[in-house]
Amino acid sequence: MPPTPLSARLRMMTGAPLFLGVVALLPLLDLVLPDTWKFASLVPAIMAYAIVGLGLNIIAGFTGLLNLGSAAFMAIGAYTFAILTCPIYPFQIGFFPGLVAATVAGGAASLLLSLPTMRLRGDYVAIVTLGFGEIVQDVLKNLDAVTKGTQGLNPVATPALPGVTFTVGNYVPWFYLYLVVLIAAVWLCHNLRHSRLGRAWVAVREDELAARAMGLSTPRIKQLAFGIGSALCAAGGALFASLNGTSIEPGFYDFQQSVIILCIVIVGGMGNITGVLLGAFIMVGFNGIVLTKLTEMMARNGWTGDNVLAAPGNWKFMLYGIALILMMRLRPEGLLPAKGVQADMHHDDVGKLPPQGAR
Amino acid sequence: MSTWEIILQLLITGLANGLIIALIALGYTMVYGIVELINFAHGDVMMLGCFLALTVVGLLGGEVAAPWLAIGLMLLLVPPFCAALNWLIDRHVYRPLRNAPKLTVLVSAIGVSFVCVNLGMFWGGLPMEVFGGGSQAASAKSFPELIGYTNLLGENSAVLLTYKELMVAVITVPLMIALTWFVSRTRLGTAMRAVAQNPTAAQLMGIDTNRVVGLTFIIGGALAGVAAVTTALYTGSISFQMGYRNGLDAFTAAVLGGIGNLPGAVLGALCIGLARAVMEGWVPNGGQWSNTVVFSVLILVLVFRPTGILGSRVREKV
Amino acid sequence: MALLHLDHLSLRFGGLTAVNDVSVAVERGQIFAIIGPNGAGKTSVFNAITGLYPPSGGRVLIDGRTVRSPPGPADLARWSLAGIVTGVGTALAINANVLWDAAINRSAHLKPFPWSETWNAVAATATQGAWTTIPFVIGAAVGVGAAWNAWRSSRCTPDAVARAGVARTFQNIRLFRDLSALDNVLVGMDRHLHARGWHAALRLPRHCREERDARETAMRELEFVSLGTAANQSASSLPYGHQRRLEIARALATRPALLLLDEPAAGMNPAEATKLMELIKRIRDRGITVVLIEHHMKVVMGISDRIAVLHYGNKIAEGTPAEIRANPQVIEAYLGKEELG
Repeated sequence: MPPTPLSARLRMMTGAPLFLGVVALLPLLDLVLPDTWKFASLVPAIMAYAIVGLGLNIIAGFTGLLNLGSAAFMAIGAYTFAILTCPIYPFQIGFFPGLVAATVAGGAASLLLSLPTMRLRGDYVAIVTLGFGEIVQDVLKNLDAVTKGTQGLNPVATPALPGVTFTVGNYVPWFYLYLVVLIAAVWLCHNLRHSRLGRAWVAVREDELAARAMGLSTPRIKQLAFGIGSALCAAGGALFASLNGTSIEPGFYDFQQSVIILCIVIVGGMGNITGVLLGAFIMVGFNGIVLTKLTEMMARNGWTGDNVLAAPGNWKFMLYGIALILMMRLRPEGLLPAKGVQADMHHDDVGKLPPQGAR
Repeated sequence: MSTWEIILQLLITGLANGLIIALIALGYTMVYGIVELINFAHGDVMMLGCFLALTVVGLLGGEVAAPWLAIGLMLLLVPPFCAALNWLIDRHVYRPLRNAPKLTVLVSAIGVSFVCVNLGMFWGGLPMEVFGGGSQAASAKSFPELIGYTNLLGENSAVLLTYKELMVAVITVPLMIALTWFVSRTRLGTAMRAVAQNPTAAQLMGIDTNRVVGLTFIIGGALAGVAAVTTALYTGSISFQMGYRNGLDAFTAAVLGGIGNLPGAVLGALCIGLARAVMEGWVPNGGQWSNTVVFSVLILVLVFRPTGILGSRVREKV
Repeated sequence: MALLHLDHLSLRFGGLTAVNDVSVAVERGQIFAIIGPNGAGKTSVFNAITGLYPPSGGRVLIDGRTVRSPPGPADLARWSLAGIVTGVGTALAINANVLWDAAINRSAHLKPFPWSETWNAVAATATQGAWTTIPFVIGAAVGVGAAWNAWRSSRCTPDAVARAGVARTFQNIRLFRDLSALDNVLVGMDRHLHARGWHAALRLPRHCREERDARETAMRELEFVSLGTAANQSASSLPYGHQRRLEIARALATRPALLLLDEPAAGMNPAEATKLMELIKRIRDRGITVVLIEHHMKVVMGISDRIAVLHYGNKIAEGTPAEIRANPQVIEAYLGKEELG
């Protein structure tokens, strides 16, 4: 039988390229929208989050490791980028070297997390990653000689391309540069998934014992998952920092942030790259676009008040929470699940394979 | 203060905080032991209990002439409230997902936690004087001083031991002893342990696992309710975000001692209480590193003993 | 020398003795069967061989060696490196503020930045005694301890045993359900593939070539077990008998010297069982030694060269199929008075 037929490979590919193709056309759509409805300027932030989501997707989606501290790596990326490019320090290495450095730093820092968690059961990994997130927050806050504590580091480098200026006023160069980076990240993830390493990750997620029995060195595989995934999270963090012109204060990268990133992966579809892209648009888009526009609209129409129940922003957690609960009841595999995951998530029945290992 | 006095003070503070965390940790570890779920909402259930306690005190008129009435009323109302809330959450959110993969239930628990946090924020906006008049919904509320600061060791003692610490001990320790007796000596307690070890076999023996699980949530909730009242009286301040911090400490304590293990949860909680007391009360600039120390201790323990201090290895059937 | 030698193997779980002083020698090229009633300890023996449970007594020798090995110089070097890295890291972390102030902040406003002074400043602060020495020592101790602990728990684990040339199937099928049949076999081949992660990420020719060759080899394994047409179906969608054969194909892909089959004929009808017997003989013809646990007496008597009988953890008999069939103890404990097979 020949290798995977071209038709099957195309089918695997159409999800992400189609999605990204539509995204590439959004600025054109924005041109025809009335001023109060324009939203494309908020999309680069979504793309940065999508890259972070792709990183967590490798750790949690492909390999099944419950990482509740992904915001910590976003922070490590943002702060590495900021320290190396902020004018108050002598390094000032520029946007692209800074981005590379942030990515490497994220990957290296993941060793601090993956080495202790190699032999732990799933739930314990969750609590350790949560704790790691707390530690990183503390470290960033307290080493204030380096990180300027709760002030954050600013300004940070903006991208520098010949002939193109990146300013706060014009979002279009940012949009297309970040889109290119996102496309590169998607391509890398896709290649990894359909490789020896990707198969090993899924094998570890499916049945770690059987994977070991086949000679796979599961600690190394988990380390690689953490390493590459965290590197991507850090890259996303650096991009986010550059977009905002600041490293943002350490308190921003808290557990709530980790949950948002986790939701990007889960709501969109665990293990499915296109799902992660969709999840980023939904999660970050809801907060960044829908809620913002709603608040603006209410302010414009004078519907504000002192009552805590009046501000839409105050309902954010309620809505997130209810959405999560409903989603897990009705469609736990996410909106665009990876193939095979859907059947697995809905299985209450006997007759198929019995549940294996600690799931 | 002499070295002994410092040590004694740290012990007092550490044990008092540790005992409160232990109550919450027991709830976490019991629920995890029986359904293998990290109930993220547990700490927030406690937080809502604190808000109920403040409401009760507010309805009685704030700084009250008869503190015992207030305390008694709170201990009467808050634990059942938390118990019922916990049971409802299990019944309607977790039970339908009993056979789902762990991540699904975990995310649901996070969802419930978010809803509770938002409820706490709204609750803080109640137009009562104890809530700051309702204008500052999101700010921390100070809890009226119902138990005095009189130093039981005498005015001149460098070591501070007040009725507050005594209250914590008097409330928490008997409860823990009662819980141990319940779990090891009564039929229901044995049923709980049976379901935790082997749900299928327990069902075959005629135990209604749904009822037993529900009972576990009720007991855990009640403990959280007591912890809510105790914490409000002891620390004097509540906030809608306190559920996260307390819950995290409690779950860390449970994991540290060995998840599913009741004495382990108490041991872990005391360790964390003492660690925080040392960091906040003794080490210079220690307060800002308190979280780091707690989690570093956890990670170190898990590196060398992956199942916690008192944990036992679970053999996987091949 | 025997390929597999169980030397007075014992396995105890708390108060229960699952395997009691069992000695067995399996020669190269043999098909060796282990039979006995349920609960006799057969799967426990497999688990001990594959490193899942360390023996409570006795040894497991594969090709004359135990898979456990004492620490070598490479291990000691690794622990020392771990200690140094954690030690230096801890010392730096504890003193980060002070070091940064001295090295960077103090001179940040100077242009050009005096880089040479930075090193002197760092060195000066770093040699300030207690606040660098104590963290270094503690950090190093933790690093060495953790590295040693990791080494200790990774010896004689299932993957080490698999790399020593032992492959197995499981009593309750353990396939990778989300992966296709072909992918399952490719996972089995993993330890013979050499492309690294970044070869794959960048789609370098080395990765593409290796993938292509690997797929061809995996297809041949699937055809060997008569599953060639199911290559792209997901493992969970295959019928039960096919799943058992897929597990065998996956185990064969690791190119083992010794293959352990745990009840491969379970749930099979007579026609399927006969096909399985032929498959096992073809596996032996490839030069692979087979040890199987089985209840299906026709299969056991039909292909085994030697049989060992376990009963309550003890070996009560060993010999050729004819000898076992006639052994009165075996008949009483397991086979029953009727002639089977």
